[in-house]
Amino acid sequence: MISITSEPIDLCQILVAAKDGSSGGTTLFVGSVRDHNEKERIFQIYYEAYKEMAEQNFAEIENEARRRWNIKRFVAVHRTGSLKVGDISVAVAVSAEHRKEAFEACKYGVDAIKMRAPIWKKEVSDSGGGWVEGFPLDSD
Amino acid sequence: MAREEQTYPTIMVKLFGSSREIIGNDKITLKLSEKMTALDLRRMILEQYPQVARKIQFVIAINRKIADDATTVDPMDEVAILPPVSGG
Repeated sequence: MISITSEPIDLCQILVAAKDGSSGGTTLFVGSVRDHNEKERIFQIYYEAYKEMAEQNFAEIENEARRRWNIKRFVAVHRTGSLKVGDISVAVAVSAEHRKEAFEACKYGVDAIKMRAPIWKKEVSDSGGGWVEGFPLDSD
Repeated sequence: MAREEQTYPTIMVKLFGSSREIIGNDKITLKLSEKMTALDLRRMILEQYPQVARKIQFVIAINRKIADDATTVDPMDEVAILPPVSGG
């Protein structure tokens, strides 16, 4: 299950989608809006995505994870729109026969999404906020 | 007899994040000349929208893939400007 959604992320749904009878473990990473950055208080974050490309990108990341680790299911969901402090922005869940693969593939998925998926965030802060300076993309 | 005006195909470019906000629209339309590449398109964007060049670095995606400079652009392609990403 892979998606970019403007709806709140349902963690139970994510875990159900990730569980597999042949797996011995499932890892779940949940990213949420933090109330501060390095400099100031944050009240809200607006997320914007190039939905079609981001979903294609998530599928590529899943394929990469499957080539590296023996995993059963890979679930990645990212939210868009205006989120308040504490709201869930991203969830990645991976099931595998053993926990090592599940942990490593889940970390790989989260890191890859943060560095490569066409998603942008704009903070609303004490001083007004702005677009977060992110990771430049390249064609490799 | 009226002289036929040469018409150029156009291409719509999607904008996201800071590029959308700087230009003030979620898309721009550019005239395409023959055998245009992603690099030509980048130069055209920087020339017509210098405010983008001053503020952000970006890559061009063609048909939902990041294009290298030599990638050719067709009027039917889906093109987008992608500023540095910050999901998560």
